[in-house]
Amino acid sequence: MTTVVESQKAPVQVSPEVKAIHRRMLRRHRLTRALTYLVGILISLWVLIPILFITSMALTTPAEVRAYPKGILPFIPLSMETLEFFLSSRGIIPGFRNSIIVALITLVLSILIAAPAGYALSRFIFRGRDVFRLSILAVRAFPIVILSIPLAVVFLRTGIYDSVYSLALMHTALALPTTILVLSSVFSSIPYELEEAAMVFGCSPAQAFRHVVLPLVMPGIAASAIFTFVLSWNEVFAATILTIQNRTLPAQVLVTLNQSSEPYQFAGGFFMMIPALIFIYFIRRYLFNMWGQISK
Amino acid sequence: MTTATKPKGRKNINWAPYLLILPSFIYLILFFGWPMVQGLILAVREEGALLTLHSEAELTSTVAGQLTRGSQVDILGQQGNPIPQEEAGHNALLTEVWFRIRGEDTEGQPIEGWTPERRIRVRESDANGKPVAGTVRSILSANADPLTRVYGEADEGSEVVGQMEARAPVEILDQATLEVWFLISGERGNETVEGWVPSRYINPLGDGTRGRIEAGDKSQLTTKYIQSMVNDRFFWPALRTTLLLIVLIIPAQFVLAIIMALVIQADLKGSGIFLYVFAIALGVSDLAVGILWYSVFTQAGYLNSILQSLGLIDAPIIYLSADTRYWILIAIWLAEVWRATAIVMVIVVAGMQAISREVLEAAEVFGANLWQRVRYIILPLLRPSLQVALILRTILAFQVFAVVIVMSGGDVMTVLANETYRQYYELRNFNVAAAYASFILLLSMVTSLFYLRAVRTQEEAVE
Repeated sequence: MTTVVESQKAPVQVSPEVKAIHRRMLRRHRLTRALTYLVGILISLWVLIPILFITSMALTTPAEVRAYPKGILPFIPLSMETLEFFLSSRGIIPGFRNSIIVALITLVLSILIAAPAGYALSRFIFRGRDVFRLSILAVRAFPIVILSIPLAVVFLRTGIYDSVYSLALMHTALALPTTILVLSSVFSSIPYELEEAAMVFGCSPAQAFRHVVLPLVMPGIAASAIFTFVLSWNEVFAATILTIQNRTLPAQVLVTLNQSSEPYQFAGGFFMMIPALIFIYFIRRYLFNMWGQISK
Repeated sequence: MTTATKPKGRKNINWAPYLLILPSFIYLILFFGWPMVQGLILAVREEGALLTLHSEAELTSTVAGQLTRGSQVDILGQQGNPIPQEEAGHNALLTEVWFRIRGEDTEGQPIEGWTPERRIRVRESDANGKPVAGTVRSILSANADPLTRVYGEADEGSEVVGQMEARAPVEILDQATLEVWFLISGERGNETVEGWVPSRYINPLGDGTRGRIEAGDKSQLTTKYIQSMVNDRFFWPALRTTLLLIVLIIPAQFVLAIIMALVIQADLKGSGIFLYVFAIALGVSDLAVGILWYSVFTQAGYLNSILQSLGLIDAPIIYLSADTRYWILIAIWLAEVWRATAIVMVIVVAGMQAISREVLEAAEVFGANLWQRVRYIILPLLRPSLQVALILRTILAFQVFAVVIVMSGGDVMTVLANETYRQYYELRNFNVAAAYASFILLLSMVTSLFYLRAVRTQEEAVE
């Protein structure tokens, strides 16, 4: 490209052969771009079409949901009836409330516990640092299912079974390793020199953290918090094992799945998906920071 | 990486980082390490498998032997023993109540001592329902001693302080709850064991001379939960389906994820939109994804609707039934590829961002086509990221659960996580559920180690 620009500046005669090569390269470049767009659009359709299906099912009348063959055009007729039917079913509103409570407690707890550890991992070199890092990575690699069963037995014995609070404790344990690693990478992205400069100008370490680091890491922490929220909101297995009366939304939908009608199921699937659609939009830029750190 | 540590010295340890990681450390021990160990223990230990027999009716007395739960025993005798008040609520407990009474003995002398509740008829109680006065019961049986013994302590083995006539009035001063102890004898192996045990462990049968050990007080290592897991009729199908799904899902995910990553890394206008769309599935639960694809494959679903409106079929096809398991498998496969490719994509993109532009541009200048660049530059440099993604995905694939329940109701086609759930939730068989969970843990660890080793030997071979 630069040669083209230079050739415009200086009136150097460019031979037709060179021009032809440039044209060919440009054409190939455009072709590649067009192909990449095509592939990108195809994959986007693969992701979006099922979402479109379930959305149009959830936002129409139950009669239309049961109809066959279904119209491929979505939202005809557009109606809140199916969604209202789902939301007025037994256990859905309490389940929704429980899900929110569990996710919020999980979010607050895991950020409060993980932030100091993430800060320590990014700012200090200490004996046992690598062991701690590695064991957190290892914890991430354990299956959750094995945790739910013994925790359920322990919760039963101690009388805190079937409570949103004990479920939040479990979800915090699930979210903690990821949150620690993500926050450590968030802190690492803020140069220590900034803190040092603040301390040179008379801040205490705590003040330097409060006035210099905190404002800079807030977006990263917020992204991590949102991710924790989504993780807890989506978690099905532990929620089903650890609760009976105080079910979260996914657990309630799962246990009633076999006895429920299709309008209920589709509206439930749509309803559970909404936070993902909203939250992933806000944190999409942070995803690679988060997971890039984890894969190192 | 910036650091703030002072020069290392033995006297000058910086405690700040340790204080900072302490909360998360404690939390992970409490809610991760400990339950993990508990889970393994649940799978191999039977609680209350053995009952300890004592030489006397005292927990502190010497051990006379042990019998296994479920054995039939002869009951040779019984005796009451004081127990703490909080244990009195134990449901299998056979108890006796004793009263401390004051009255006149057969000679008209004042007497104070203990006697079993069954020898006293309570006549008066206070406002709290506590008995305060009564009379000695008359004994109707012909050959029984007509007099009621009064003991020095609430124990039939203690000294007799006097005897009382029937119908003599008494003042009830105090009461004590006793647990009955049985003197039992039973066989273990070829040995006969005899000793005293608390009644809570024994279920007396018939006239009370025979009994069965209902529970024990000692646990025992056992393989019976693992055996009942392996012998379960769903075990092998579940294992087979789980492994089959892993083999089918993971390669497809990696190919798709690498293509997605190449699209995002191509610096197109609007790559932010592609990124968002590709990442949406990251936030959708497996239950919601299951329902999403169920709407495609159900009998009145979108696939049939489309085929019908194109005129390719006349009547709706039933996909998700016991006769068409392969369709269930395809539906689960599509749902899992749809959902979990996003996480691989994110890891791959993060890895690609670390590959320097110059290398790729150099390759392009020297005429390497896209396939050659992917095969000889991107993939080798991505190996660490791919390894992490592979381990993460395999472990998550062992936990596939809600999708399978949505597509098959959990019976027609089943996976290991679903069996864990069934054992726990439907059959209330905590130990077998823990055995399943431990088995999943074992499989995850074995595959992780396998990946780590496989990648390392490959590297060595290259060198």
